[in-house]
Amino acid sequence: MTTKPCTACQEASEQERFSQFEDVLQEYAGQPGALIPVLQIAQRMFGYLPEAALKKVATVLRKPYSEVAGVVGFYSYFSTVPRGKHLIQVCLGTACYVRGGKEVLAALKDSLRIEVGETTADRQFSLDVGRCFGACGLAPVIMIDDDVHQRVRPARIGRILDEYRNKEAAAKSGGNG
Amino acid sequence: MDCNKRIANVNALGQLCDALRARQTDLPAEGRKLVRLCMGASCIASGAQRVREAIEQELAAHGLDRQVEIVETGCMGPCSGGPVLVIGDVFYEQVQPEDAADLVSEHLGKGKMVNRLTHRRPDGRSVPHAGDMDFFKRQTKIVLRNCGQIDPRRIEDYIARDGYQALAKVLSADQPDQVLAELKASGLRGRGGAGFPTWRKWKFTREAAGDVKFVVCNADEGDPGAFMDRSVLEGDPHSIIEGMAIAAHTIGAAQGYVYVRAEYPLAVERLTHALGQARERGLLGKDVLGTGFDFELEIRMGSGAFVCGEETALLRSIEGNRGEPRPRPPFPAQCGLWGKPTLLNNVETYANIAPIVLNGGEWYASRGTDGSRGTKVFALAGAIKNSGLVEVPIGMSLGDLIYDIGGGIPDEKQFKAAQIGGPSGGCIPPQHLNVPLDYESLSELGAIMGSGGLIVMNEDTCMVDVARYFIEFVQEESCGKCVPCRVGTKRMLEILERICDGRGEEADVERLIELGEIIKDTSLCGLGQTAPNPVLSTIRHFGNEYIEHIRDRRCRAGVCPSLVNAPCSSACPANVDIPGYVSLVAERRYAEALRLHRERNPLAAVCSRVCFHTCEEKCRRATIDAPVSIRGIKRFMADQEVTFQVPAARENEQNAKRSVVVVGAGPAGLSCAYFLARLGYQPKVYEAEPRPGGMLVQAIPAYRLPREIVAREVRMIEQLGVEIHTEMRLGSDFTLRSLRAEGCEAVFLGVGAPHGVSLGITGDNAAGITDALSFLRTYNLRGSVPVGRQVVVIGGGNSAIDAARTALRLGADRVTVVYRRSREVMPAYREEIDEALAEGVELRLLTAPVEIVTENKAVAGVRCVPMQLGAFDRSGRRRPERVGEAFVIPADHVLAAIGQSLDLKSLSDGVQLARRNNVFIDVDHATGQTSQKWIFAGGDAVTGPSSVVEAVAAGERAARGIDMYLTGDDHAFWRDTRPVDTYFDPEAEPVETSREKLRLIPVERRRHNFDEVEQPWQEAIAIRQAKRCLRCDYGRRECEGTYEVS
Repeated sequence: MTTKPCTACQEASEQERFSQFEDVLQEYAGQPGALIPVLQIAQRMFGYLPEAALKKVATVLRKPYSEVAGVVGFYSYFSTVPRGKHLIQVCLGTACYVRGGKEVLAALKDSLRIEVGETTADRQFSLDVGRCFGACGLAPVIMIDDDVHQRVRPARIGRILDEYRNKEAAAKSGGNG
Repeated sequence: MDCNKRIANVNALGQLCDALRARQTDLPAEGRKLVRLCMGASCIASGAQRVREAIEQELAAHGLDRQVEIVETGCMGPCSGGPVLVIGDVFYEQVQPEDAADLVSEHLGKGKMVNRLTHRRPDGRSVPHAGDMDFFKRQTKIVLRNCGQIDPRRIEDYIARDGYQALAKVLSADQPDQVLAELKASGLRGRGGAGFPTWRKWKFTREAAGDVKFVVCNADEGDPGAFMDRSVLEGDPHSIIEGMAIAAHTIGAAQGYVYVRAEYPLAVERLTHALGQARERGLLGKDVLGTGFDFELEIRMGSGAFVCGEETALLRSIEGNRGEPRPRPPFPAQCGLWGKPTLLNNVETYANIAPIVLNGGEWYASRGTDGSRGTKVFALAGAIKNSGLVEVPIGMSLGDLIYDIGGGIPDEKQFKAAQIGGPSGGCIPPQHLNVPLDYESLSELGAIMGSGGLIVMNEDTCMVDVARYFIEFVQEESCGKCVPCRVGTKRMLEILERICDGRGEEADVERLIELGEIIKDTSLCGLGQTAPNPVLSTIRHFGNEYIEHIRDRRCRAGVCPSLVNAPCSSACPANVDIPGYVSLVAERRYAEALRLHRERNPLAAVCSRVCFHTCEEKCRRATIDAPVSIRGIKRFMADQEVTFQVPAARENEQNAKRSVVVVGAGPAGLSCAYFLARLGYQPKVYEAEPRPGGMLVQAIPAYRLPREIVAREVRMIEQLGVEIHTEMRLGSDFTLRSLRAEGCEAVFLGVGAPHGVSLGITGDNAAGITDALSFLRTYNLRGSVPVGRQVVVIGGGNSAIDAARTALRLGADRVTVVYRRSREVMPAYREEIDEALAEGVELRLLTAPVEIVTENKAVAGVRCVPMQLGAFDRSGRRRPERVGEAFVIPADHVLAAIGQSLDLKSLSDGVQLARRNNVFIDVDHATGQTSQKWIFAGGDAVTGPSSVVEAVAAGERAARGIDMYLTGDDHAFWRDTRPVDTYFDPEAEPVETSREKLRLIPVERRRHNFDEVEQPWQEAIAIRQAKRCLRCDYGRRECEGTYEVS
């Protein structure tokens, strides 16, 4: 099991992704406790949980839609609205909180011009708050996708974001060339 | 050697282990070297991957790539030093890719250690070997035995270090009861937090009826501040697989689950990899090691719900449901996953199993305390020098962990609290640094061991804000199933938010306690039952901070935004508008600046000389380069005063007729009289000595505070309508009763703590022993005092240093200050100690006097013993303990400066006043009111020896209190925030000027006289310094008053 965003999936069209997901879903049909792993896979494939996918899950796993929606609503990892390409999570665990996590969050909101839970207009970044990534020794930290950035200074935020913007640009030009 | 195939049986495993081990010992013989590079999550975040690439390139360039093997290990522990790596037995820290060239060519090529990258002690000494580092010295690694030693992705590394031998032993013996017996003997308790004896849990599940059982590992490490489970999963995943397999065999399960939180992708990746390897080798799956034992293990990932750390919620989540807890019993041991008996333990607990099975329960139980055996992993984070992961025998004291292993608090800040146990835990204050870290001792203090996350907080942390933070956390994470947790924590949060916002009410603290107790008693699961702990423990240990927030609208840590215009002002006991006057100085508007200062503190010139400036310690400019020289700017400002600059005073005919008396013309009394006068009162001040000023003129020497400076500010206060009568001593010239009889309506007692405390050692009645305070007083008031040739001053406070420097100036040949603790904890101001040393005063630290040696009943010397620092005492400092032989310091004059006290009995003339510590006067903090409604008090008489600015602040509080007592209303208009119209461009970069010190006259020109040592700046310097202010107050003035008329 890996959590790296699958680039192939991102390139694929919504349609293709959906049929890929249906294939995966069939493997889990009838297995006990499959709901949450299946939702995690869907979240990774689509970047969020489209309603159509949830309905499909309910049908294949033979669960009422209300139960599926109830589980989705309970866990903060799941999102029913599309997220940006990069998920930024600002740690507000205790160590980060007492070492200035709040200021880092304020700087990010300023820089991205979005609030917590929102996504930038260009769908590049979504901003969220996390509760401890277990990197307390290096507080304050933020996590962008799966990378942990340590001892973040509010003044350095711009540079960190540029890294991801540039990565995107580089990947694009590489893909086109 | 082929270790990729299935291991057929137990013997084959043993042979494989021997072969792998032999291969490792052969490495050096073959001229091969190992580089162990930490690939823990923290070191990766610090750039370990780039370091690895750089080293590989260098190795290739030097042709060493065949002789050197790079082992990527899990977390080594000292995260703050990352990236870290070990070559041979040399420990390198903060290694950057650029350092690879030196490491490869010097250490790996020539065998020469690269000194600059080794660990350094605070004194700068290099400590190359991990075993000698303070961080590792006192650790005992059982859980973390392989973390940082092996490559977690290579099962052969694990096998070479006795990996799976415990499982083999258990499977071949096939005596589950024996495993339970060893576990029982080990005394192991659940490491997830609650500390339930592990063997009993295992026994219950084993004995539970049913063919299908499960083992589950709780790796939903949700407590913020805990990262040991993550490090074990990432650094030694096989130890969990082995521990769970042993558990499965013992209780009779064939299926297991590891529930890992979603925030740990690397842990999931490594554990997945390890599971695959274990299956390939036949250590998991069907017929493990050919013994017929079947065991399959799967990973389930959490989805971001803190409550899933609770066992019943976790099981529901694995089943694919909302992670809501259910009431217990039945316990999971009877009815767990899908209704089957389920054994649920935490990662750290499972990691302990294999070593206990291999070495025996007795071996494990030989560590730790009676009730809590073995070791515990702690995650050190927050305001601590060496943050990271440590494993120590249970029962080590909190202070030892923070100071010996953690290296103490960085940036010369003060330790304030240790938060332990996450949102279920509590805060431990400095007076309990000596608490042993075991389950029982911690819960006695209102904290819990919890998962072992330990966050150190310094003076910059507001404890009310911390409580609010944790309640906000549990409030958000409450699953909502039961009312006490869902609604109760919401109500607690509302109250705490109100307090932090400056809208707290008197009864709020009681409300919080009441709510907290109810939530604890009535919540469904552990989350709710422990949720109020952070609030209750901060109220218990830091109650005065709540009171300050509620009554004074003050957050001394400078954290709560609504109560803080600028952190410097919040840190100032008198709440002076520091950014305001500093920015006025920057615009050369000195008179306005002074008036603004005197809104809250009349003694601007005095404080510009002697203030201990807590403001500078909180200055945010320190995060860029160094704090603004606030006292230096104040000094320049005060020096510009030509005519008295006094802020608004309000005439009031009614008040002028009231009879109010201030006893004592020290800083507290002067301040009280000043603020009363600004409300239109005309208080009389009675001073016992011939000159007003109290300690300012009696104790503080003239070289620090010239007398005309004090006299001038006293005159300014007199001009406001305050009458000062000198040589009027309370208790002899007048009494409290006589004042009352004469119609006095309110009295302020600012009588100080003028009496020295006697040494209490043999010979302390000999001739030639003087109390330092009366020595200073005699000289300062009379102009002369007898001084010996060889003077020993006993004590470490400001009086001791003042007395020493005065004795030196009066002609003593040799002055030695003897202090029993270390220099870091000397109460005297750092600058004063530095100057005393520069002038030739000798300092004998860690030296305690035990006897005054006498000849003919006169002092001949002081017999002292050397001390070392031991356990922590109630003051949060290490208690000195005697070591070594006594020696004598020759002396003909001893000055005792070991404490000050107050003889309240002779002063109060039968009027009963409640006392604190049986010595000082007990008052209401916000108003200075004593147990007698008409008597108020402040300054050293209340606090014991303290600072000028604390006394000024106490005088102000009492003036407001007296007015409220007399009029029934609050008129302290000076507490309103003033608009300041100085220019500030928030977009501009901060000026680059560096911090400037005040000039001092050279030592040779000051050693023998009482000329003022500090010299003022030129105007240009003062203005440049003032412009360094970052204006934290900018934009915050309109939006709030620091005070509202209620």
